[in-house]
Amino acid sequence: MFKKLLTTLPLVAALALPASAQEFPDRALRIVHGFGPGGNADTMSRIMAEEMSTGLGQPVVVESRPGAGGTVASGYVSNEEPDGYTMQLMVGGHAVAAGLYNSLPYESVEGFTFISTLGQFPFMVAARSGEYESMEALIAAAAAAPGTIKIGHSGVGSTQHLTGELLALRTGAEFLHIPYQGGAAASTALMSGEVDVVIDTGTVIRPQAEAGVYDILAITSAERWPDAPDLPTVSETVAEGFDVVSWTGIGMPAGVPSEIADRIRAEVHTALAAPAVNDMIVSLGAEPSPSTGEEMTALIEGQIAVWTDVINSAGIEKR
Amino acid sequence: MLDQFLLGLSVVLQPHVLIYAFFGVFLGQLIGVLPGVGAITAISLLLPVTFYLDATTSMILLAGIYYGSQYGGSIASILLNLPGTPSSVVTCLEGYPLAQSDRAGLALFVAAFSSFIGGMVGVAILVLAAIPMTVVALKFGAPEYAMLVILGLLAASMIGTGSQIRSFAMVLLGIALGLVGADATTGYYRFVAMPELADGISLVSLAMGLFGVSEVIRNASRRPAANAAPLIIKMRDVIPTRAQAKSLAFPIVRGSSIGSFFGALPGTGAAIASFMAYAMEKRFSKTPMKFGKGHLPGLAAPESANNAASQTGFIPTLTLGVPGDAVMALIIGALILNGIIPGPRLMVDQPELFWGVIASFFVGNIILLLINIPLIRLWVLLLRIPYQKLYPMIIIMICVGVYSHRTSVTDVLLTLAFGILGYLMKNYRFEPAPVLLGFVLGPLLEDNFRRTMLLYGGDFTIFVTRPISAVLVVCSALMIVWAVWSSLSHRRIPAPSSP
Repeated sequence: MFKKLLTTLPLVAALALPASAQEFPDRALRIVHGFGPGGNADTMSRIMAEEMSTGLGQPVVVESRPGAGGTVASGYVSNEEPDGYTMQLMVGGHAVAAGLYNSLPYESVEGFTFISTLGQFPFMVAARSGEYESMEALIAAAAAAPGTIKIGHSGVGSTQHLTGELLALRTGAEFLHIPYQGGAAASTALMSGEVDVVIDTGTVIRPQAEAGVYDILAITSAERWPDAPDLPTVSETVAEGFDVVSWTGIGMPAGVPSEIADRIRAEVHTALAAPAVNDMIVSLGAEPSPSTGEEMTALIEGQIAVWTDVINSAGIEKR
Repeated sequence: MLDQFLLGLSVVLQPHVLIYAFFGVFLGQLIGVLPGVGAITAISLLLPVTFYLDATTSMILLAGIYYGSQYGGSIASILLNLPGTPSSVVTCLEGYPLAQSDRAGLALFVAAFSSFIGGMVGVAILVLAAIPMTVVALKFGAPEYAMLVILGLLAASMIGTGSQIRSFAMVLLGIALGLVGADATTGYYRFVAMPELADGISLVSLAMGLFGVSEVIRNASRRPAANAAPLIIKMRDVIPTRAQAKSLAFPIVRGSSIGSFFGALPGTGAAIASFMAYAMEKRFSKTPMKFGKGHLPGLAAPESANNAASQTGFIPTLTLGVPGDAVMALIIGALILNGIIPGPRLMVDQPELFWGVIASFFVGNIILLLINIPLIRLWVLLLRIPYQKLYPMIIIMICVGVYSHRTSVTDVLLTLAFGILGYLMKNYRFEPAPVLLGFVLGPLLEDNFRRTMLLYGGDFTIFVTRPISAVLVVCSALMIVWAVWSSLSHRRIPAPSSP
């Protein structure tokens, strides 16, 4: 009985005294993410947590709730109290999931208070060195022999996979899309000649390109990437208006009071300026991208529209 | 090669680097002993520490945790029947019966020593043949992997002590359990009764349940026996006799070779290696009936195999910059955080890092052997704890360990459910090891088979027209013929009646 009282007491206290902005935060916060311990999302969360805890004056705890491409975590966070103490580290897969799943335990846009993106990154279209002269040559080869050029991707429904499907839709070329378990396995298959093209992030592609194993044919962002200005874009070569970037960002449950959301956003932006966080984002092949909540919402809404369309047109199995 | 290896040694033998190497393997060993807590958890927690270290030292530290945990994993398997990884499942088969018959010290010694030799052979291959091994590994495409896994599944159905049909049925049960989750080729959800199962049943839950929890239940239903482990163990009881040592030489050599080869294949390595080694020992043994009851060669071969594999597993990671498994991906992540992009140029651009890490494996294996031998007596004392006190502790540790993997309560409940299943299986003389191997290999087979069909337009002949794949098909066929023939001939020739 006494034990029960002890556990409910803080809860009652919390309900009775809603945290006002002046004393926010008065206890530990947490960053939830939907991926396994040790992945990029986990590392990113830990680095953000460490930086933000100094600014907030409270510990920030990282909580991993992996499962179903991050949707388990999103469902969990979306249903938490919007008191400002629960954050989620989100990734581009959040927008993909909206089109990929038949039913989600949350609303992809309305269910969240989006705080800020952290970093944005493009994908790179790579082939074995000397195989294709350019992006135009690849598409011409695909047009000449439809359905024979194999694109290896990191898993069905991954942004890498959908980017390949989008490329096919926009150029009218037909590819054979081959699923692998992760980018590393797809990259090995490209090296060994099992597939002809891989579309993946700079962390997977660039070391091999620098060693002369791969040629990077194009980059998927709308504009040339500041970190690699020599690489042509897909948009300027074969599909005008082609624009795929993925991102990481911070979201909270819907209904967080605006002064608390602003406070968290300010802390996120401060953390993004810190060298440790900046280095981490750059090392993952991304550009730091502090944003407003509205910008992040617009980005996600736009991507949900694109990916839902790709998933339907390409006939990808919904879950 | 030797020059470069010496360069590596000069890096490792600096006192501050040596301390981190020691710390890494020691921590790995401890983590490996804890049921359910894997190297991944340990490495991801230590990742932030590597910000304060240079790239070489971080790599040495993290890699040490990885192969150190392989050593530790055998300790829990031998003493408590708790395999932390698929590769230590096979260690349970002979190690646990040895511990049950008061020869825990001997089992631990043989495991540590075989692991040491296996590790050293792995390092030697890494130094001498990293590049040729990489070339071979790249020749393994989807058809080769599919056929390799079939060979592995056949080997898996031979490791049981009872009838082969029962073992085979258990392999199929494992494959069925492995179907739960998203279909890798289409993304379709199979048997996903709740969202937590979308990524499939956790291997840790299955292993801890079928082995650890079921063992606790089984012992709980027995009368508490007086613990027989003596308080003071003489070194004489720990070290194998000359005859025993002699019988182990070839199993260790065979195990190390099998392990070194399979380890270099990204993705499949260590798991297949250890029970291929075990199945091969059993096949070639003149006394196959001794297996499963605490037969030392059956312990030494897989132990040397999985440690050799955990060293050659670094080959694709170091030469291509492509991580072979999740732990390797983490270690590569640590390099990236240090501003070094691992890739094919690592060996040329960062010779001190490349060879320093390899030399650290050499030193690390020696450290592991040195800290393991004196610790044996301490570990054996664990068995003196009365069962009534030891088993509740084990259950708690299993639950915490399983929870730490995916922070999922579902996984913990599943572990307990698998414990009950394992208990029932044991009562009806079905063995858990083939279930686990089917569970690990089934999805690999499906994934690679369906990928082959996609790549080659549904053409089945691809499996026999590609040379390596064809060789694997022949090996599998021979194995089936052998199994059928030996079971028939056993039936025809009645067992010699006792005089």
